[in-house]
Amino acid sequence: MKNFSKWILDFFVPLGRWCRFTWQSLGWAVRPPFRFNNFFKQLEFIGVQSIPIIMLTGLFTGMVFALQTGKTFSLFRMQNLVGSTVGLALTREIGPVFTALMVTARVCSAMAAEIGTMRVSEQIDALQTMAVDPLQYLVVPRVLGCILMLPLLTIIFNFVGIVGAYAVGTTLLDIPAGPFLHHLYWYVDPEDINGGLIKAAFFGFFIAMISCYKGFLTKGGAEGVGRATTGAVVASSVTVLITDYFLTTWILEYYSSHNF
Amino acid sequence: MIKITDLYKSFNSFEILKGINLQIPENKITVIIGPSGCGKTVLLRHIIGLLKPDRGRVSIDGVDMNALNRVKQNKLRERFGMLFQHAALFDSMNVFENVAFPLREHTDLDESSIRRIVLEKLNLVGLKEIETKMPSDLSGGMRKRVGLARAIALEPEIILYDEPTTGLDPIMTEAIDNLILEMQGKLKITSIVISHDIPSSFRIADQIAMIYQGKIIEVGEPNVFRKSSHEVVQEFIRKGEGK
Repeated sequence: MKNFSKWILDFFVPLGRWCRFTWQSLGWAVRPPFRFNNFFKQLEFIGVQSIPIIMLTGLFTGMVFALQTGKTFSLFRMQNLVGSTVGLALTREIGPVFTALMVTARVCSAMAAEIGTMRVSEQIDALQTMAVDPLQYLVVPRVLGCILMLPLLTIIFNFVGIVGAYAVGTTLLDIPAGPFLHHLYWYVDPEDINGGLIKAAFFGFFIAMISCYKGFLTKGGAEGVGRATTGAVVASSVTVLITDYFLTTWILEYYSSHNF
Repeated sequence: MIKITDLYKSFNSFEILKGINLQIPENKITVIIGPSGCGKTVLLRHIIGLLKPDRGRVSIDGVDMNALNRVKQNKLRERFGMLFQHAALFDSMNVFENVAFPLREHTDLDESSIRRIVLEKLNLVGLKEIETKMPSDLSGGMRKRVGLARAIALEPEIILYDEPTTGLDPIMTEAIDNLILEMQGKLKITSIVISHDIPSSFRIADQIAMIYQGKIIEVGEPNVFRKSSHEVVQEFIRKGEGK
């Protein structure tokens, strides 16, 4: 019983602190001065610099997915459905989740390490003493940057993934280009794409908030920075996978109740 | 005037400050000394509102920093400048950008005025032609001087120095002391210096206070402080002066 209550406290106390941190950051997001320079720097770092890795992972994800589904579907002579299957899986699930995981690995680890280093070297305290709120200066641009760039990166991931699937489907699996594209066009609806992009925006919010929070909590020099970085990547990745289920449930429910 | 009243602070049930009472006079240099880990830096962080006390208050001209919301706290902090123990320069910015940072944040000055002020402040701390260098390329003493140039960029009314001479050689220590005195002479500011360097403290202070076991055990002008009847104070002075 004692262990159970300790476990409950260990889970809910940090969660409560994170909620308070998030609430305060949101408060600073709507309060001037708006730091457009910092925001655009983050857009460049989170978005533009992530494009190569997103294209690479998107391409190979689409290719391997087409290969696996193509081989399985060929048992039932349904290879023509590879395009639609890959399209639906990418736009609804794989695109937003993989993009979020790649951004977590590349961007969020850097965020936690950068903010953590600033914390242990008193640079965050220096910001405060210069009457600059660190939440507004450091957290808000990163969170807004992730919310905006995750959906855009997801679009790139989806597109490149489908191109990879098309290449494998039409060359290795001998699926004619016409049926491949026809089924893709026929089965993938705008709400599939929109649902994925909404999820990506939520993932962006969560992973940026978690990484910045972990960075802010850093204590104890280089070792502390390492711990914060690892913690940020693990917590962000797990959060992406858990929230994905709940967001999917909500999005499916929303679309079915609106007769899409 | 800065007035610290009955200040208490604990970390993980370990009591650091146990009822600090101290008045910091305007336009004077107050040096707070004490052994390592006695809570000097913790006290300094309370003065600028980086830490919240468990009990007691710090008032700046009658305004309790901790009773203010974050926006008003930031407004009050514009009156402060702070030099950190390791300078706390932004390592993603070069020297010029570091010193220009508070000017860009809190003034509407054009770039040429900012450039003029930055060079003037760097000149004041004895640094020339290092604007494009990154903090990682500077020595400890240079970093502290850049930190000081940044702290005085907005010409604050109050400057806090957290162990400004720790880790510096005797020549650089004297240079920093002279710099503090020079700032005081030129800018007429209230300075609070945290130190455990006794010779340096006697050289620059208008008032010295000593913290021991979480309390102020002695406070006074340097000549009064030197004659303190408190045994710990006398031992600290003796050992600090290497006698």
